[in-house]
Amino acid sequence: MKSIIKQKEFSIFMIVVLLCVVLSFVSPVFLTFENFLDIIEGNVVMAILAVGMTLVIITGDIDVSVAAATTAVAVIIGNLFSFLPDSWISILILFLIAPVIGIIIGAINGLLVSKIKIPAIVVTLGTLNIINGLVLYLTNGQYLNSSNFPKPFLTFANFEFLGIPILVYLLTAVAILTWFILKHTLIGRSVLAIGGKSQSAVRVGINYNKVKLFVFAYMGFLAGIAAIAQTAYTKAVDPNGLLGVEMMVIAAVVLGGTNIQGGRGSIQGTLLGVLLLAIMQNGMILAHIDTFWQKVVTGAIIVIAVSYDQISYRRQQAKLAKIEVEA
Amino acid sequence: MSEYLLQMKNISKTFPGVKALDNVELEIKKGEVHALIGENGAGKSTLIKILAGVYTPDPGARFFFEGKEAEISKPLDATMKGISIIYQDLSLFPNLSVAENIYIGRDSHKKPWTKVKWNDIKKIANKALKELDMDIDASIPVEQLSIAQQQMVEIARALAFDSKLIVMDEPTSSLSAGEVEKLYNVIDKLKKQGISIIFISHKLKELFKVSDRFTVLRDGKFVGSYDAQDMTEPKLIQLMVGRNVTYEKNQATVEVGETIFKVNQLSKEGNFKDISFELRKGEVLGITGLVGSGRTELAQAIFGISTPDAGTIELYGKKLSIRNSAGAVKEGVAYIPEARQTQGLVLEQSVINNISLPIISKLKNKFRLTDRKQEVKLAEEYVKTLDIRPALPHLDAGNLSGGNQQKIVIAKWLSTKPKVIIFDEPTNGIDIGAKTEIHKLMRKLANEGIGVIMISSELPEILAVSDRILVMRHGRIAGELNVAEATQENIMHYALQGKSNGKAPTFVAESNQMSQGV
Ligand SMILES: Nc1ncnc2c1ncn2[C@@H]1O[C@H](COP(=O)(O)OP(=O)(O)OP(=O)(O)O)[C@@H](O)[C@H]1O
Ligand SMILES: [Mg+2]
Repeated sequence: MKSIIKQKEFSIFMIVVLLCVVLSFVSPVFLTFENFLDIIEGNVVMAILAVGMTLVIITGDIDVSVAAATTAVAVIIGNLFSFLPDSWISILILFLIAPVIGIIIGAINGLLVSKIKIPAIVVTLGTLNIINGLVLYLTNGQYLNSSNFPKPFLTFANFEFLGIPILVYLLTAVAILTWFILKHTLIGRSVLAIGGKSQSAVRVGINYNKVKLFVFAYMGFLAGIAAIAQTAYTKAVDPNGLLGVEMMVIAAVVLGGTNIQGGRGSIQGTLLGVLLLAIMQNGMILAHIDTFWQKVVTGAIIVIAVSYDQISYRRQQAKLAKIEVEA
Repeated sequence: MSEYLLQMKNISKTFPGVKALDNVELEIKKGEVHALIGENGAGKSTLIKILAGVYTPDPGARFFFEGKEAEISKPLDATMKGISIIYQDLSLFPNLSVAENIYIGRDSHKKPWTKVKWNDIKKIANKALKELDMDIDASIPVEQLSIAQQQMVEIARALAFDSKLIVMDEPTSSLSAGEVEKLYNVIDKLKKQGISIIFISHKLKELFKVSDRFTVLRDGKFVGSYDAQDMTEPKLIQLMVGRNVTYEKNQATVEVGETIFKVNQLSKEGNFKDISFELRKGEVLGITGLVGSGRTELAQAIFGISTPDAGTIELYGKKLSIRNSAGAVKEGVAYIPEARQTQGLVLEQSVINNISLPIISKLKNKFRLTDRKQEVKLAEEYVKTLDIRPALPHLDAGNLSGGNQQKIVIAKWLSTKPKVIIFDEPTNGIDIGAKTEIHKLMRKLANEGIGVIMISSELPEILAVSDRILVMRHGRIAGELNVAEATQENIMHYALQGKSNGKAPTFVAESNQMSQGV
């Protein structure tokens, strides 16, 4: 009874387990450590973005420009690579520059949403198109391969510890950091407070604009990190590689139990949501289902999950309302 | 140092189209309980929100705190000065735990990366809850609490904070008698500690009980500040409303017609037992009794919110089997609950849309689209009959004062054109002038042939409106009186002693649960 979320996380977990059981019958390859690692590594970018998106959605907003922002950062660092020396310093510079560019993009979104009070969906649809347009103009849609990447970066990208790829560690760090912020810092609690009731938040002295700005800037920060992960994973920069990924990111967050109207959600849930989507897609590939049917199935599952969530939440509310009058 | 803790001068506030406050002043002494009174929409809550830094006043406003000129331009300014506010519409976070709700705001001035100290939060919250004698689990989210409990959590938040001034904007409107008593005790304690309190309420009895001084507002203007000793109820009403308001006992002899509604041997374990009564066309049936005597529970069982264990309900001779409130509405039974503050208003929609909401599917024009003209007409009618102010039905419901929002809830229910309508404490939170309007409305409904049941703890109200009075006690009907034979005394007699039980509880001890004043 602790909270609706806890129950919800458990039920997502059970669905994941169930899916795994089914898929292990469909394909003997599925239930192997290698396949699992592949699934996770292949979805690190989506997971990092989903972690950031969780905060955005908890405040009751949305950011549809994340995939575009990630691509933009990736394109910039891809071009920057030719100026970077073949030394470890390059990695350091990379980890400084990519997040900063991400934060700048996120902060622009955040300022427009908080200060000028334009709905987030409008602002981020705008930035999405502006960024996509600029990227296309600058790259002509052209693919950058790893030939001019600094050597240390490729070493970094291939690095494994205890048989687990570096990107998985990166995701773990991002998840723990964000969980800590959300659970244990003032700004994290303010994120939940604003999502719960913004009017109350203003009344108790929480700086609404600052929190909104933080949430979008943090999303940008993680887009910067995701850009590094994407570049490391594909060892290339593809201006079209992440087209439409924002929808999967939002879907994973909502599947993971974050309420689209704000106020509730957790990093653990989001990670489970990503896992669920990832396993589903992997399973369909292993089962040789056509790509277009894959899309249909994924879409249907998202719609069902979100409706189920809304219906059960409303039921719960109705029950509460009833107790209310009875008391 | 000055004897005043707080002085607010030249306070004006203009909302688009409405001058909510016009050159108002407010002076609060140290350690006093200061009542702020005025009709619905007089500007009380607006003045408080300016003090809280939530609204910015028009230029020219001046604040003095502890004798020094001060600036309050944002909520944090007020918090840092030790001003806590208990808001009329509450300011809780439904998704956060009780403990966090109580604690939140204390750290608002700190750096965003400050680590949250969960142990401190628990400790402070539990201490505040204990002070209020509240036995709830501080770890559950606030959305799982009843309105009354939420109100108490909001009070606990103000206590947990080391305040110098606590503002209570209608804190008792959804509390039970026992909880109100606890609040009075806390107020006493705070006063002894030298903490000042601003108290807003429409219950004059209550105000006279707790307050040392009064400030009266009328139509956004400052009328005056007065010591409690120099003040009487009639004088206060005169200042507030600008005219005398007295309730006359209902003298009318109504022609009662056929039986509309019949309740037969209705029982619900632990709530009420063997309740039987009839409601005739043309009459208003008053139900009274001490808080906790089962009145509200009875009404809720009739309305299908809870299910009775035994007994039957008939409407125009037809047996009803009501399973839930939607079923009740369909059958033509309406129930206007006591806690109206949060009951189903869409605050960011216009008054018109709120009123027409329950019957929107019936307001169709010949293209089967919503007939906007009819909708507006309907709303305008209710705005007029219920004296909703300002009389601008296009305004968002959220921009109206708390009392006027309550009137919208009433209008919403009336628009469903019920055959029987149960009003539960219909004038709770409604100012004394508008009260008489609502009384007239109930009478008018009865004259139109609608069955009207009014539950009220206010004896003058019961006497002014009802034709017949049922007095409940311990879940049973202890007495039935025609208004002609009823007096405050014999109603009280039934409410306290009942028909049989000879042991008389002390009158004074319990009488605060039933107000005898206006
Ligand atoms: N945000 C707002 N926008 C526009 N008008 C407003 C707003 N808030 C309040 N008003 C108007 O200001 C006036 C004063 O409202 P206020 O809430 O201060 O009244 P009140 O004295 O607290 O009444 P009540 O006893 O009903 O709570 C009303 O006419 C109200 O409609
Ligand atoms: Mg008010």
